[in-house]
Amino acid sequence: MSKQSDSEDFESADEGQTLQTKKEKKEIKKLAASTKNVEQTDGWDDFDIEETEAVEISKSNKKDETEKPTSQDTGWEAFDDWGENDNNKVEEVKPNTKSTKDVHKSQEQADIQAVTERLAAATTKNEGWGWGGWGVDSLLSTATAGISTLTSQVSQGISTVLETGIGAPDPEELARATKEKAVNQETNVEEQPTAQDTTFQFGSLLSGVTKFVETTGTKVISGGLDTLEVIGKKTMEVLQDGDPGLVKKRAMLGLDTEKPILSQILREAKERADEEDKMREAKREAKEVHYETLFDDFEGLVHLEALEMLSRQVSMRIEERLRSADADKRQDIKETMQQVAELCEMPEDDDDDDDDEEHGDSSKEDVFHERLQRATRDIGLKLQFQPLIKQYTDILQWLDATEVVNEKAIYKRAVSGLAQATALCVELYHKTAEMLLVKNRRSTADEADALTQLTVVLSKHVSEMATLFTEKLSKQPSEDKELINNYITNVFLEAGNSSKYVENAFQLTLPIIQIGAV
Amino acid sequence: MVDPIFDYQFRLILIGDSTVGKSSLLKYFTDGKFAELSDPTVGVDFFARIIEVQDGTRIKLQLWDTAGQERFRSITKSYYRNSVGALLVYDVCNRSSFEHIPLWMMEAKRHIEPHRPVFALVGCKVDLVGTDVKNGARREVSCEEARMFAEENGLHHVETSAKTGLNVEQAFILVAQEVYNRIQTGEYKVEDGWDGIKSGFNRPNGMDFNLLEAETVQSTCC
Repeated sequence: MSKQSDSEDFESADEGQTLQTKKEKKEIKKLAASTKNVEQTDGWDDFDIEETEAVEISKSNKKDETEKPTSQDTGWEAFDDWGENDNNKVEEVKPNTKSTKDVHKSQEQADIQAVTERLAAATTKNEGWGWGGWGVDSLLSTATAGISTLTSQVSQGISTVLETGIGAPDPEELARATKEKAVNQETNVEEQPTAQDTTFQFGSLLSGVTKFVETTGTKVISGGLDTLEVIGKKTMEVLQDGDPGLVKKRAMLGLDTEKPILSQILREAKERADEEDKMREAKREAKEVHYETLFDDFEGLVHLEALEMLSRQVSMRIEERLRSADADKRQDIKETMQQVAELCEMPEDDDDDDDDEEHGDSSKEDVFHERLQRATRDIGLKLQFQPLIKQYTDILQWLDATEVVNEKAIYKRAVSGLAQATALCVELYHKTAEMLLVKNRRSTADEADALTQLTVVLSKHVSEMATLFTEKLSKQPSEDKELINNYITNVFLEAGNSSKYVENAFQLTLPIIQIGAV
Repeated sequence: MVDPIFDYQFRLILIGDSTVGKSSLLKYFTDGKFAELSDPTVGVDFFARIIEVQDGTRIKLQLWDTAGQERFRSITKSYYRNSVGALLVYDVCNRSSFEHIPLWMMEAKRHIEPHRPVFALVGCKVDLVGTDVKNGARREVSCEEARMFAEENGLHHVETSAKTGLNVEQAFILVAQEVYNRIQTGEYKVEDGWDGIKSGFNRPNGMDFNLLEAETVQSTCC
């Protein structure tokens, strides 16, 4: 409700202002045009210079004027000429102004197109907007920014005008120009019941006319400026009435759209829905190659979490034992824990190539299986490697079988393959930890060694898998080398990620190995 | 993989004696298949499926399938905490599995505290009733007494078959709907540090425990 009343206020205020005549609007336009020009075109500089003297003269004449109040009527006629002159000048520069305006507009148009459309929609229905072109102009120059620019331009313009004396025409020229007229008008002047001084003589007519012109010129100019200033002030008052910074008006322009036209609402709703659909689609697409999401989907995350629960619980039990033990025993336990931790330190990569030589003939998955079994030979548990082997086999088959495939598909398969392999690795640690905890006879040193070896094998496994995919990617005949390189980089990054998870799982298993010894 | 977008994730835990059919129930629910033979569960296994509750909200059920074997009891206890719902599973043809239900329920309440989970009493293997007289499979727990126990303890009750699929879906949807209702009434909330209910939108942020480090590594490497 409050929003509505705001906008109503605004509208009624506008209606008040609609009374401002079109003439005034034109003047504002002119002024806006001319003040812009002050900065932009040379013509005005010339014009300014031309007029500078005039102002001084007209100033110096001011005394006379007050002493001799002159006839407005004659003055007006003379002024009309000058006024036409002025108009011409304004018109001359108008094309320029327009073009700069257009540029200005087109820049802002993009930003505020939505607003424009809404506003246009609103104004078609609501003629009471009244501010017509100008309103659109300045409001569309986007509210405050536009308006403050305009006002600053206006005030700049005014001061420039006042300084350079835009209003006062060159006296000599004017004198010459008006001379004939003045002579012609002489009769009229005398006939007319004017407020002219009765001592007015033909001899002084010329200077009198000049003065008239000057005075009226100044008066009209300053009067015009006053009017413009008033209009400008009024405009800002109306716009900012009870709404400093135009906050509400801007809000209104945004909100107003929601009530007037049903079709627009529906169109916007549809656009929004489309947008949401797109986002949903993009989200889905993104999820397909989002490593963490895939890792979660393959239950890697929850296994890691469960492993962490176990790890934490076991650590607490160890702490408890430490607390309840006497000092000597406590030292013992700490030392044992330290020893186990040392056993579980990852070895340097020194035995990299011995495997590769040994298993020249075997298939990759067999080599992998062999390594897993050798690593965990002494752990004393029956571990399930089948899921890991099967997943590896599937990937190897996919890589062999898939000849014609685009790089994106390879990339997707790589990320998901790595995520799944990693999830299975984490699951292996989790299961191993659970089985260790229910194992009857613990053999800590063997367990530590086996799990360390296992970690080496699994880390190697994910990096080898990544290599297979990157090889496939780099063999891909594609013009978009950058894309391929991006994919390759990402695959290696995810492989690094995988290694991190594997090592993390191993670290979580450490207390479970340790507790067997204390 | 089904449409992976979901609004909430509920963690449900399945508990009950060994061989009552927890894993088979879950396999049917997530796979639509019945496994004739399966190895006993080691520790805990995980299943997941997305369902919709009545108002169309999509819920990912993360299902913790615990080992029923006695030797894993100390381990499975540590898994209760973050569950928002618990399915108490018994075999309708196994009297003692039903008689252990109060113990399972107490265990669950104790470990899930201070949270109060939604419980459901789920009888399994109703397909065996009356069909396999030779092998001695006959109903040892009547539907009435199970329902009575359920009513006394404020539980939902349902009898299922993982072979025919009878009521399998219903058992899980029952719990999910109840959890969802409690979210609607404000009884349950998404809470930091408790994974019983998670919001689906910020899933990548939902990973606590050490994973952030790995994530950071990933993002800074680019």
